[in-house]
Amino acid sequence: MANHNAINITEKDILVCIFQRGAADGLNALVPYGDNDYYNKRPTMSVPQPGANNGAIDLDGFFGLHPALAPLKPIYDIGDLALIHATGVPHRSRSHFTAQELVERGLTNKLGPNTGWLGRHLALNTKPSSSAFRVVSISGNVPVTLTGADDPLAFSEISSFGFDQGVINTGYPEVLTNLFRNPLPFSNTAQAALSAVDELASANPGIIPPDNGAAYPVTTLGKQLQQVGQLIKSTLPVEVICLDSNGWDHHENLPTFIQQSLTELAGAISAFHSDMGTRMQNITVLINTEFGRRVSQNASLGADHGTGSLAYVMGGGINGGQVFSNWPGLSDQNLEMNEDLKITTDLRSVQAELLTKRLGGTNMNTVFPGFTYTPAGIFN
Amino acid sequence: MDIDKKNNGKFILDNLQTRREFLKLLGKGLGYSAILTSLPGCGGGGSSPTPVAQIPMASPEYVTLKRTSFGVHRDELASIQAIGINAYLEQQLNYQNINDDNLENTLRTRFPLAFQTPAQLYAGFPENTQDINVDMISATQHRQIFSKRQLYEVMVEFWSDHFNIQLLNGLGPTLKPTDDLQVIRIHALGNFRDLLQASASSPSMIFYLDNFFNQAAAPNENYARELMELHTLGVNGGYTENDIKEVARCFTGWSIRFPNDPDGNPGEFIFRSTIHDNNAKTVLQNTITSNGGQTDGIQVLDILATHLSTAQFISTKLCRRFISDQPDEATINTVTTAFINSNGDIKDTLRALFASNAFQNTSDLKLCRPTEYLAGVIRSLAPDTNYPTDNGILFATAQSILGQLPFNWPTPDGYPDQQTYWGSTGGLLNRWRLSFLSFANVIQEINVFQINYNAMLNGANTLTTIIDAMINNILMRPISSDDKNFLLEWLNTQTGLTNDTALPTETIDKLTPSIASVLISSAYFQLR
Repeated sequence: MANHNAINITEKDILVCIFQRGAADGLNALVPYGDNDYYNKRPTMSVPQPGANNGAIDLDGFFGLHPALAPLKPIYDIGDLALIHATGVPHRSRSHFTAQELVERGLTNKLGPNTGWLGRHLALNTKPSSSAFRVVSISGNVPVTLTGADDPLAFSEISSFGFDQGVINTGYPEVLTNLFRNPLPFSNTAQAALSAVDELASANPGIIPPDNGAAYPVTTLGKQLQQVGQLIKSTLPVEVICLDSNGWDHHENLPTFIQQSLTELAGAISAFHSDMGTRMQNITVLINTEFGRRVSQNASLGADHGTGSLAYVMGGGINGGQVFSNWPGLSDQNLEMNEDLKITTDLRSVQAELLTKRLGGTNMNTVFPGFTYTPAGIFN
Repeated sequence: MDIDKKNNGKFILDNLQTRREFLKLLGKGLGYSAILTSLPGCGGGGSSPTPVAQIPMASPEYVTLKRTSFGVHRDELASIQAIGINAYLEQQLNYQNINDDNLENTLRTRFPLAFQTPAQLYAGFPENTQDINVDMISATQHRQIFSKRQLYEVMVEFWSDHFNIQLLNGLGPTLKPTDDLQVIRIHALGNFRDLLQASASSPSMIFYLDNFFNQAAAPNENYARELMELHTLGVNGGYTENDIKEVARCFTGWSIRFPNDPDGNPGEFIFRSTIHDNNAKTVLQNTITSNGGQTDGIQVLDILATHLSTAQFISTKLCRRFISDQPDEATINTVTTAFINSNGDIKDTLRALFASNAFQNTSDLKLCRPTEYLAGVIRSLAPDTNYPTDNGILFATAQSILGQLPFNWPTPDGYPDQQTYWGSTGGLLNRWRLSFLSFANVIQEINVFQINYNAMLNGANTLTTIIDAMINNILMRPISSDDKNFLLEWLNTQTGLTNDTALPTETIDKLTPSIASVLISSAYFQLR
């Protein structure tokens, strides 16, 4: 039965993955204000130097946060946030759909396992319990990242997952259990859904309020992260939660749109950090996108599809308070295909180190076949 | 035994007196406003189940209807059984000979914004944004549920996904209704080359994929990339990043008139020659000579429409739509050949697909999508219902829960057509909850559709005969004896009655909606 006092602290971190869909621009989020070429190539689309009106928030004398990311600065300062710039999976596709698929599969081309990098990691470990809540997606669908794991649970709102008591009284769930028995089509998924309904009704995480005065923004991402917090604080044995952040495809009017997108991101992330409090010691949050945007602004005050971008990691087990970057520079001769930010840190090395140090270890050949990783020292 | 007491609170759901409570039952927590805030996508790419058909096969006529319509309708099943599968499909392909005036006239009256020009819609914009959204969704849903031109509506949905445009996107609400009528609906069973050019010059597409920004001095590649990746060649269709840049240059100047343009109406196509790149281009090894103006883009469309990769890409997508997620190579090749030999005639291409062994001799290979499910529920449970008299919000709310609201998929690739996406835990649960539409007849206020269970039962009054009658009327296909026994055991437990006891009318009235909800929740109804 429900025990709201139990806390899910194990030797492994709970992992929260946020995928920024649409190719989030890294250059205006974590601004390389120390690189003059940034201002040369984005003459009317750049974030001003620290100290100027609406200027970047200085982090280390070279990089500064977009002012909309101000709520992340205190988290950075206490060492719970690290930023990785000029990162990505070197796949060379500029198609959103192909690139998202490759990044989620952890591959540089389509030859390779058909499952997600995280799904393959999760499949290495046997299920510790029969809970349907071990692997959860709160974006309605199961992302490619999680394919390969046993029956990831997918829903869009805790409050809408389940049946009315009147329906349960009619015996409807029981008869469905029989009609979707093994090995009939969709039996595994159906059984997982039915047991998830039972578990959720028993744990009732939807009523758990935010702690420590955390105020989640009333936005899609804010509501989703509030639910992530509720699941973590409930008795449900969640290990991995994936969600999407949409709307990053800023081909035009980037300054206005990215201001909105970063405001939503920072508000939701910082509320989650407050809500989790000391639980943050055993939580890792990873935020990344499919590729970055082109260095030069286009005629529509936006940027077209590019290559390298920015990733964020947050949690108690992070060597935070620093930007990890082997900065490639933005002068013409240093650009990928003469126009994009180069990838100097393979995103998979960040993920590999995360699995190794924070998720109890993994099998590198299975999760990232053919990839040799060098830990960057991002995680403790 | 006191039957009524035994049944109290079991087969009549508590608190199911009003329309609002009914919607809450379907949405559990989602309110009426869900349609305004819902995001598409309640499916998933879970553990990739590969269903093996282990349930009794339906008749070939049933399977044909399941795959070429939005759910099997009793009258159409009778029709296809009478005239044969080939004759039925030919009838459906020649959709203009099927009179649907009654429905179309109703839609014009009920959902007028779906028929208005950009200039008309702009006059009320942006206050009319949600009204346009609801009218567009509702007109589409009503056609899927009620049109006699079912195959045509299936192809309209196919091309709406193929050339997807998110309606709620800047000026999008004023532009998409015309795209729907003048691009998708006109050419859905016409010629692919015509459809492609209609789309390329559609203000709705030009706005959605930023081509109005595309100019010689600063090309915008968004449309060029999706034109090749999603509309024609496919991502592995043999083009390079340089081809994308060249195609973008060819389409510089393909633009729209914006509001307050003194020379024309807002939302009209215009070729702006002053911002067109007049230099020569090379597209897929073809030279486009200089100073071609608007013909540059036309030449690109010619190259793309006749490219082998396009024939293969379109044919593969059609096979996925009508057969399974992994169609066999031989069938794809047959359909590709038909596409090439007919110069992209969509009817001829479909004829080849329908004639294939893979289409004719398989069944239950794929989970139906949410639009098919919702329309199928109405077509199966309420085959005689009249056109709804509400404002369309019930069906739209139902579909917002299922996650496939027409014109609301945000990215240009269109709603996924893979059962792994839709068949997630949450996706199945949403379908099951929507199966409680079977209770609509309990609520007097639900004037959207009427279910007549008594007509289905035709005098059946024992658990055994009731189950048989409802399987025949709702599923219209045989079920396994094991499954029938599970249903009877469930009813025995819930009612305390044996299979052959004659039941009083009020008990039957309480049982039927529950039985219906279970039947339409089962794999028998969900697979195609």
